[in-house]
Amino acid sequence: MITTRRKHVRLAATCIAFAGCIYSVQAGGLAIKAGKVITMNGEDAVYNNAIVFVEDGLVKGLGQQGKTPIPDGYSVIDASDKWVVPGLVDAHNHTAGSLADLNDMVYLSNPGLRTLETIVPDNELIKQARAGGVTSVLLIPGSGTNMSGFGTITKTAGRTVDEVVMRAPGSLKIAQAGNPEWYWYGVGRSYMNYNTRQTLEKALGYHKKWVAFEEKKVANAPLFDPIFEGFRGLFQRKFPASVHTQAYQVVMTTVDMLAKKLKIRTIIDHGTFDGFKTTAILKGSDVYTINGPRQYWFDRSQRKMHGNCARWWQSGQKKLGCNTDAPVVPQAELSYQGAMACWYGWTPYEALKGVTKIPAEALMIDSEVGSIEPGKSADFGIWTGDPLDPRSSCEITVIRGKVAYDAKVKRRF
Amino acid sequence: MRRLESLIQLCLLACLACCVLPSSRAFAEDPKPEEKKEAVDTKTDDPDSKGDDEEKDDEDKKEEKKDVYFAVTGATIHTLSRGDLYDATVLVKNGRLAEMGHGVVIPEDAETLDASGFHLYPGLVAVRGGNIIGSGRAEETTDVYSLWMTIALASGITTAVSGETAVSLTYGSVEDMVVKRDLFVGLRYSTSDPKQRRKVREGFEKVRQYMRDLQSHVEKKKTDPKAEEPDKEWLKGDFETYFKLLKHEAVAKVSANTAHEINQFCDLAERYGIRIVIDGALEGWTVARRMARAGVSAIISIRPPIFSTDTGVDERLNRPTGRSIENAATLHKYGVSIAIVPSTASITAWGLAGRDLLHLNMEAAFAVRGGLPEEAALRSITIDAARILGIDHRVGSLEIGKDGNFMITDGDPLHYMTHVRWTVVNGRLVYDKKKDSLFSHIRPDGDRDAPPPDDYWPRRLGDGQ
Repeated sequence: MITTRRKHVRLAATCIAFAGCIYSVQAGGLAIKAGKVITMNGEDAVYNNAIVFVEDGLVKGLGQQGKTPIPDGYSVIDASDKWVVPGLVDAHNHTAGSLADLNDMVYLSNPGLRTLETIVPDNELIKQARAGGVTSVLLIPGSGTNMSGFGTITKTAGRTVDEVVMRAPGSLKIAQAGNPEWYWYGVGRSYMNYNTRQTLEKALGYHKKWVAFEEKKVANAPLFDPIFEGFRGLFQRKFPASVHTQAYQVVMTTVDMLAKKLKIRTIIDHGTFDGFKTTAILKGSDVYTINGPRQYWFDRSQRKMHGNCARWWQSGQKKLGCNTDAPVVPQAELSYQGAMACWYGWTPYEALKGVTKIPAEALMIDSEVGSIEPGKSADFGIWTGDPLDPRSSCEITVIRGKVAYDAKVKRRF
Repeated sequence: MRRLESLIQLCLLACLACCVLPSSRAFAEDPKPEEKKEAVDTKTDDPDSKGDDEEKDDEDKKEEKKDVYFAVTGATIHTLSRGDLYDATVLVKNGRLAEMGHGVVIPEDAETLDASGFHLYPGLVAVRGGNIIGSGRAEETTDVYSLWMTIALASGITTAVSGETAVSLTYGSVEDMVVKRDLFVGLRYSTSDPKQRRKVREGFEKVRQYMRDLQSHVEKKKTDPKAEEPDKEWLKGDFETYFKLLKHEAVAKVSANTAHEINQFCDLAERYGIRIVIDGALEGWTVARRMARAGVSAIISIRPPIFSTDTGVDERLNRPTGRSIENAATLHKYGVSIAIVPSTASITAWGLAGRDLLHLNMEAAFAVRGGLPEEAALRSITIDAARILGIDHRVGSLEIGKDGNFMITDGDPLHYMTHVRWTVVNGRLVYDKKKDSLFSHIRPDGDRDAPPPDDYWPRRLGDGQ
C-alpha cells in the first residue's frame, strides 16, 4: 500500500513491514491520497479526491488529487477508495493502563492519586484501540470512590510513558453516585455529595491562598500541600473534571455544585438514564456530555427505549459525544457507540463528531486533535467507508504522522 | 501398481455410490405435489402435539374452518433463496406462505398490509434464544406477552431456540409455536481426558458393530426366518445417542473453541461420519480447512463479550491463536456453514446497545467487516442458521409452503440505522413499530427531525395518553 518516489525509502519501508514493526519512519513527509476526507473543521468541510500532507507529525495541508503535486521525498499512502477520518478520541478509557490499579479504594475520596504511573504503553488492549481508529484516550481511574485521582490523556501508540502522554493531569475523576455507594459498609448520596464538596472546597481554599500569594496580597508563601497542589489547574480551568454522573437528580447536582458553584470545567461522563432532563439548566454553560457506555435508557413508566444521545441532542445539549468506558465496551468499538446512538435516533454526522471533535473539545485538546486541519497532530484513521458502519473497517491508523496500525500487516478488528 | 490404482478406483466408486444412494432414496420418498401440500399444512414436526391436532380436526368437522389469509403488498421482497421481487405481493394462507410475486389475487377477506417502500425479508433466526422463550416445554413456560419477546420481534427475530427447541415467536398465542424439538444431542469428547475419549470411540465402534450385525441379520432372515436378532438391551443412554448419530437421525452440538478442541471433534466427525455443530469455534479460522473437510458447521460470535480483556491472542502458543474478526469470512471461504449470534444471546434492557439479540443483525454486520460477503452475513442469521438447526424446510427464507414469518424493514438490514417496521409470524402481524411504544418515537415515518416524546413523571392511571 505504501509507495514512494524514492526507491531506497520504499525498500526501507518494506523491510520494516517484514520485520513486523508498524512504526515506519518517513524521511520527508507523508501524503495520503483519500477518496474522502472528513475534516471536522469549523466549516464541517468534507473533501472528495483529496490529498492530506503530513510533515513532522503534523498536518501540513490539504490538496486536490491530480492538481496538487506531491513533493519529492514524500511517501504516499494510496487510499483513493477510502475515507480519511480524524483519529477518534475517547474521553473515558481504562485500558491504556493497568486494569489492576484502576480503583485504589483507600478512602472514600483519594484526591492525590493519578493514573500517570499506571500507564502501560503499547499494551495488548490499547493495540486494539488503534485497530478501531482510536488515537487519543483519557485514561481515568475507576468510580469506586468519590474521587479516585487525576486522569491522563494519552496517545494510543508509543513505547514509553513520555511518548504516549499528551497531558497530565488530563482531568480529575469525580464519581458522584452509582458506584461509590459500595464503599465500606455503604454510603448514601447526601454523604457523598458532602464528601466531594468538602474535598473540593479544601482544595479551592488552598488554591486561593496561593493566588493571594502570587498576587502579592500576602507576604508569606502558603505551606505546600502535595495532595491539593494538583487541583490548582482544575480551578484555573486548565483541565476539566470527568464526572461519573447519571440519572436526573445526580446530574443536576453535578451541574449545580461543580459547574455553577465551584466553576469547574465539567464533563458529564456517562449522563445516562434520564440525565438528559437536566439540559434546561445547562444552557449557556460549557458543560460537555460524553454519553456512554450505555446508549439507551428503558423508561418503564413510558415503556419507551430512549436513545440517550438522541434525547440529550433533542433537548438542546449540542456539546455531546460518546464514550466506551473501555473495557466495558471494547475500545475498538468507539465508532460503534456512535452508530448505536444513531439507531436510537441521533444523526450520523453529529455522532461522528461526537467521537472526534467533541471529546477533543471536552478534554481541551482540540487545538491538537479531533479534526484534520493544518497545524494539528496528524492522527487519522483510513476507513473503507462510513466509520460508524460496523461493516467498514479501519485499515490504517496514523498517529503523529506515523502508521501505527496496518490491517494488511495484522488485522485486529 | 495397476492393481492398486484399480483398487482405488473401486473405492472411489463405492464412495460415489454411498453419496448417491441416500439422496436418490430421498427423491423417491419425496411426496407428490398434493401430498406435499398436506404435509405442509400439518402444524408441527412435534410428535407430542399430534393429540391436540386430532382434537382440532374433530372440531373442524363440526364447524367448517375458514381459511385465514394475510397479504403484504408493495414491498421489495428479498427471498434469500430465489432473488428479489420488486413491488410484489406475499400471500400467507393459514400461517404458511401460499403465493408470492406479481399479479397475486388477494382474497376479499384477507388482512392486507401496504408496505410500499419497505423491504421484506424472512424473519431472523436466533440460534440461541436466551430470555425470549421459556425453558423446558416452551409452549408452557413462555410468557407470550413479555417485553423480551416484543423486543425480539422488533429486532426482526421470528424464530429462536431455547434449550433444544426451536420456537416461533407467536406473540400473544402459543398456537403453532414449536417448530422442532430435540434439535441436537449432547456429545462429550474431552480434550483433557484421553480415557474418556477412548470410551466414546469404543462406544461408537460397538454401536457400529451392532449396525453391521443388524444388517447381516436382515440378510440371514431371508434364508432362515428363525434367525435371532442381535441383542440390543444395552442400546441405552450414550449408546442410543451414538446410534442416532450414526444413523444421521440426530446432530450433535458441542462446545469447542480452541483449534485443538475443534480438531478433536473434526476427527470424530470424519471417523464415524456423524454430523456435528461446533458451538463457539473461536479459533475456527485457524482450522477452517479441517472443519470443511469434516463437514462440521459452526455457531459463532464475532465480537468479544463486554468487560472482556481478551486481546485475541495467546502468546504462549506458537501458532495463530485467539479471536479474529475474520473468523466468519475464513470459515465461509472454506465452505463451513455458519450461524452468527452475539455473545450476549438474550434481550437486555439495562442500557448497553448493540450487543444483544436486539442487534443480531449488527453482529452479522461485524462479520462483513472481517470480509464475509454481505449476502452470506444475512444468510448466517436466516437460512444458514435455520439449516444448522435443521428447520430450513420451515423458516429462514421465503419459499412457498414455508412459515409465513417475515420482517419488514425500512432499509438494508445490515445498516446501523435500519429499523423493523412490522414483523409477521405465521401470517399474523405481531409487531408494529408505530403502535408499540418501545421505539415508535425513533424516526417515526423515517423523519429524522421528529420532535421528541414528552417527558413527564411516571403516569398514573387516567393520566395523559
